[in-house]
Amino acid sequence: MLEHTIERKDMSDEESVQVITPPNTLKMKVREGGAGAVDLAAIERAEAVIAGLADSYLEWVEEDLVKISEAHETLLENKDDPTDYVDAVFQIAHDMKGQGGSFNYDLMTILGNDLCRFIEGKTEVSETDLDVISLYIDTMKIVIAKRMSGDGGAEGQKVLSGLAMVVKKITGGS
Amino acid sequence: MVDYNLERLNFLIVDDNKHMRALIKGILHALGVKNCLDAIDGADAFKELRHFPADIIICDWNMQPLDGLDFTRLVRTGKDSPNPFVPIIMLTGHTEMNRVVEARDAGVHEFMAKPISAKGLYARVKAIIERPRPFVRAGMYFGPDRRRRDNPAYRGSERRVADKESADSDGGEDGELSQAEVQALLDS
Repeated sequence: MLEHTIERKDMSDEESVQVITPPNTLKMKVREGGAGAVDLAAIERAEAVIAGLADSYLEWVEEDLVKISEAHETLLENKDDPTDYVDAVFQIAHDMKGQGGSFNYDLMTILGNDLCRFIEGKTEVSETDLDVISLYIDTMKIVIAKRMSGDGGAEGQKVLSGLAMVVKKITGGS
Repeated sequence: MVDYNLERLNFLIVDDNKHMRALIKGILHALGVKNCLDAIDGADAFKELRHFPADIIICDWNMQPLDGLDFTRLVRTGKDSPNPFVPIIMLTGHTEMNRVVEARDAGVHEFMAKPISAKGLYARVKAIIERPRPFVRAGMYFGPDRRRRDNPAYRGSERRVADKESADSDGGEDGELSQAEVQALLDS
């Protein structure tokens, strides 16, 4: 199974380090070149698969928007002991962050990321926090409703800067 | 540049989001992969590994009950692990420096930031094929050698530890990295 095992002393301390070289089974299983090898055309086909799922993405993200709105509602109802409910919002926003840009909805990745950063680690939430979360969710709904793909163009950038301005205003610039 | 035929490789996809699983599977199939199995979290994946001889695992981070990090540690150091050496690509929306370091220190081979692209995913697979790394057991760590560049003449300090401490002390959460920065951090 293993090709060899050696022992060496680390340069900086006395800790023993064991180095193991496993056999390179992958190199044995892949063929180089020829029919079926991953060339530029295969990469393009794979990118086309992603593009082909764009319509499905719009269905999935609508479901996510419903879920995150519900999670926000639940957080509102449980704002005195919010940790688990903040985490529920975080998890959905985090998924939306990962998916958005994959399907050419970069603004969803930006908004999902900013929302995650805003709520991550919060053990208590103020009314202002709840308002900000709501603003992010509403903005994501606008991005999807208006099909603001890519960087959203001028309208998309206006939406982002508008959101940043409102968030700054209601949080007092914090 | 060498192109590889991936049809004999077995991929295990671990993600709690069915849409992401479908997406990754679609990309792999378009790249010629025939054998993909998916699992909905780390525990499910570990179970699947007992009968599915995965050559490469593509794993999300945020999953319940067993997340990608704990799954990686379980694969690497679990007493009943079916294959402690299997290459793992962490595919995640977490791109903060401390998270990248944490994933590397759990024993992942490659770290890929979502959003996903076919080109990016193939680049990670290719890196695993072309640059196999020895495994290292040092203290609590078992996994691929975290020094990607072999430099026997190196006499400097242990920067990897310094990286981690620096990331920890920063709080780390503010430092979003691009995929290029993630790669530079892993290659340093």
